[in-house]
Amino acid sequence: MTQQAPQLSPQADRSIFSDPRGPYLPPDELRRTAGRFPFYWTRAMYSGNGWRGGSWAVDFPKSDQQFLIVIKRLVRLNAYDWENPVGLWDPDLRRFPLIYMLEVGGMNLTEVEVEGLRSYMEAGGFVIVDDFWGPREWDIFMYNIRRVFPGKAIVDIDLDHPIYSAYYNIEEVVQVPAVNNVYQRTECYGCFPQVKGMYDDDGRLMMMINFNTDLGDAWEWAEDPRYPLDLSTYAYQMGANMIVYAMTH
Amino acid sequence: MENLFELLFKYRPLVFEQADFAFAAPISFRTWLGIAGLIAASAVATYTIARGKSTVTDRGVMAGLRVALLATLVFCLMQPALSLSTVVPQQNFVGVLMDDSRSMQLEGDDGTVRSSFYSEAFTPEESPLLQALSERFALRFFRFSDVARRVDGLEEMTFNGTHTNLANALDAARAELSGVPLSGLVMVTDGADTGERPLTEAIVPLQAAGVPVFTVGLGEESLEPDIELGRVELPRRVLQGSTLMVDVVVTQNGFRPGTAVPIIIEDDTRILTEETVELGADGEPVVARIGIELPEAGARRVRFSIPSQAGERVDRNNARNAWVDVVGEREKILYFEGEPRWEVKFMRRAVSGDENLQLVLLQRTAESKFLRLEVSDSTELEFGFPTTREELYRYRALVIGSVEASFFTHDQLQMIADFVSERGGGLLFLGGLSAFAEGGWAGTPVEEVMPVILGEPSRGEFGYFSEIEVMPTPAGYAHPAVQLDAEPLELQERWEALPPLTVVNPLTEVRPGATVLLNGDRTEGGPRQVVLAYQRYGRGVSIALTAQDTWLWQMHADVPLEDQSHESFWKQMLRWLVDGVPDPVVASSAEEEVEPGETVALTASVRDSTFIDVNDATVLARVTGPSGLTEEIPLEWTVEEDGAYAGSYRPTQQGDYEVEIVAMRQGAPLGSAITYLHSAPSDREFFGAARRTQLLQRIAEDTGGQYYTPETVSRLPEDITISGAGVTLTEELDLWDMPALFLLMLLLMGAEWGYRRIRGLV
Repeated sequence: MTQQAPQLSPQADRSIFSDPRGPYLPPDELRRTAGRFPFYWTRAMYSGNGWRGGSWAVDFPKSDQQFLIVIKRLVRLNAYDWENPVGLWDPDLRRFPLIYMLEVGGMNLTEVEVEGLRSYMEAGGFVIVDDFWGPREWDIFMYNIRRVFPGKAIVDIDLDHPIYSAYYNIEEVVQVPAVNNVYQRTECYGCFPQVKGMYDDDGRLMMMINFNTDLGDAWEWAEDPRYPLDLSTYAYQMGANMIVYAMTH
Repeated sequence: MENLFELLFKYRPLVFEQADFAFAAPISFRTWLGIAGLIAASAVATYTIARGKSTVTDRGVMAGLRVALLATLVFCLMQPALSLSTVVPQQNFVGVLMDDSRSMQLEGDDGTVRSSFYSEAFTPEESPLLQALSERFALRFFRFSDVARRVDGLEEMTFNGTHTNLANALDAARAELSGVPLSGLVMVTDGADTGERPLTEAIVPLQAAGVPVFTVGLGEESLEPDIELGRVELPRRVLQGSTLMVDVVVTQNGFRPGTAVPIIIEDDTRILTEETVELGADGEPVVARIGIELPEAGARRVRFSIPSQAGERVDRNNARNAWVDVVGEREKILYFEGEPRWEVKFMRRAVSGDENLQLVLLQRTAESKFLRLEVSDSTELEFGFPTTREELYRYRALVIGSVEASFFTHDQLQMIADFVSERGGGLLFLGGLSAFAEGGWAGTPVEEVMPVILGEPSRGEFGYFSEIEVMPTPAGYAHPAVQLDAEPLELQERWEALPPLTVVNPLTEVRPGATVLLNGDRTEGGPRQVVLAYQRYGRGVSIALTAQDTWLWQMHADVPLEDQSHESFWKQMLRWLVDGVPDPVVASSAEEEVEPGETVALTASVRDSTFIDVNDATVLARVTGPSGLTEEIPLEWTVEEDGAYAGSYRPTQQGDYEVEIVAMRQGAPLGSAITYLHSAPSDREFFGAARRTQLLQRIAEDTGGQYYTPETVSRLPEDITISGAGVTLTEELDLWDMPALFLLMLLLMGAEWGYRRIRGLV
């Protein structure tokens, strides 16, 4: 497949909705006033393969919006209520110290994006990776991440890591399937869920990799009666822990 | 001038000042007035009747002159006199206080030492001054440096005293002579007082007793050329790894302003740094601000010196020493944050490598749910923000982030205010959506602790929001907290390169007494935002950092990855926050350097764990000398001040002394503290060693005495005689035969005659 530049869908005029959430800011206004809110749930836009603008945009924006609605009820998080997609190439990425990056099995970074992601993480940015499955997608992700940090090890994050107790006490890593796979509970047979991480030279976690699992779908479809409540609960617990940990470590 | 006065008016001005004026003629003043009126009337009539060719003006002028002449004559006939109290010879005592300090060894321009005055003035065989005094008074001699002692002769003078304490000397002499009729004290000194006591304490009792002090000033008013390293100001206790900012005050006389001289800073083992300072104008002090680093923990004596310059008159005032205790402990800071914020993460990262700071985080992550990080054990802060003083006062500093005031109980708010004012802790307020006025802090007990003035909380859908360019104020450029570890010349450039921050709390004013270190210019214009300001509050310091996202100095794309500004800023900020925060027991000595054999006062302030003054403690000073022997000195409650204990110690050997002060109450330890002493010959007397004429004049004026120099001191015996103090008799001094009156009459007669000649009326 050919490399595809990420694209944004046209935005609806949200002012016509009666929405309990806070005001929506047009992208330009949001950037200009970045900092008005203590926290922005930021999705990383990157070049890759896929439909609807690239693999970065899977579940976008419903997953992000749903996640914010729930997470703000669980955590005292003064967050902007709406999605915030920012490109890895964009210098403004550094104004948002946490990014969510998913479907990285379709990732195909440009050199500018490689450089952007590297400097972001070296400056102190925290990356949550999610929703990629099987050895093939792992290899694609690794190919791209080796371009960012050629020599850095990716290691397991065991259950004694403080990220599992930063907000909720999580005692088991659970596989969270996509909404279409709730019955078989996996997207690839023989794939078991793994949480891995990459640390900086001072031993600080800078990337958390949720492999063989799809937290984003659990966030997105939590309201759907077909989606198992225990899995969406787990996904939100992981989300809360990752955010609280990233904002304190 | 005074001699001319005496020639014309018969007596010196001082006599007129001391005496009362009276007429001695046995006729009443009214009778004399009547006689004078008659004479004047007849004189006027004479000129009015005998007109000749004179005009009205001529007659008026001549009559006036004649009346003035007759009035002068009548004045003389009334026998004017001065009524003066003079001491009865040999019935009164005079105390002579002679300065025995080392500054008396200084040479003047002509090569004579100051102390030579004593042998000239007080050697019995040669001195007319001594003879004149001895004829009138019984003399008692004292030598003084820190205290006054009776001496029988000049041979007891050593000129080796390490202090000049004028107040103590006056007190001692007054007390010694309190039982005898005292006509005055004569204090012979350069006036270079090195004592701590206010002179007023000694002058008031002298005024009450009516004892005049006659001062004789020795030495020159200005020693030129000379450089003096006048004062060194630095914190006595610093955290290991901190950059110590030292103010060195240098004064010069006689050198060219702008001359560059080096200041060398060293400890016992090595030169720490060397800086150059440009000298100011004559007598004007310049302050050199120097940063030094003391990487190793422990107490050390730091020496600041300027090498002797060519031709310098006194080089023993070119160096100062100071004790610095470099503390290797971890200072505990409590950071309470009301919500997850990026400031937390990046502040923790910035100081994570600092082994001397323990930043304990308590972050509210949900209602009644807290995340605790860096706590010492599982019970620390387990119920959230401290509810007792004992719990809160364990920390040396407190950082309050974006948390609304209503989160706290009223007691907790009061406790936060007391944390600064009573415990002496450092308190840092951070900007945020729930901080300052926006967090409802106005009207709380904490509001007045804040160095910024809170306005109305901003309103609107989003509240207030502004981007600001942050730059140091002039005070900021000199403050250690905002140096960013940059070279002084690069500091402005470093600040200009940092990206803008954002604020959600509009704060533009500070309280009186607060100092602004960083200001922010809003990108959209408008009044300047106060970004970093602080004020002393009680025993502690409170700081406001009103920006909400200093983490941008780490994350922003404009900041190079290798830039350490953010890390430096927070390390310096938090070190500043804990700098000088006291322990329950604080030890100090009146002086850090004393001579062997000199007594030094040891003091301690003792408080309990809630920092309430304790007056019933058992306080001991364990003094370990250079030989390793330890002595125990009890310290007693002073009664004058709660929690203050005092004692004294007299080192006998040269070297360093460690003084550990231990406080107990009912067998339970309250705490301990250490201070240090160095015992060695002192150069203290050579600082500010020029003659202090104004001080000596003030002593004389305030007590009714006179000030003299060696050139004018010959008048001293007579002046004491008429001072009116002691056993006196009243003497009348005639004034009718003053040459001035005779000259006046001649002048008036001559004037009339001359007028007649000019007008052709002869």
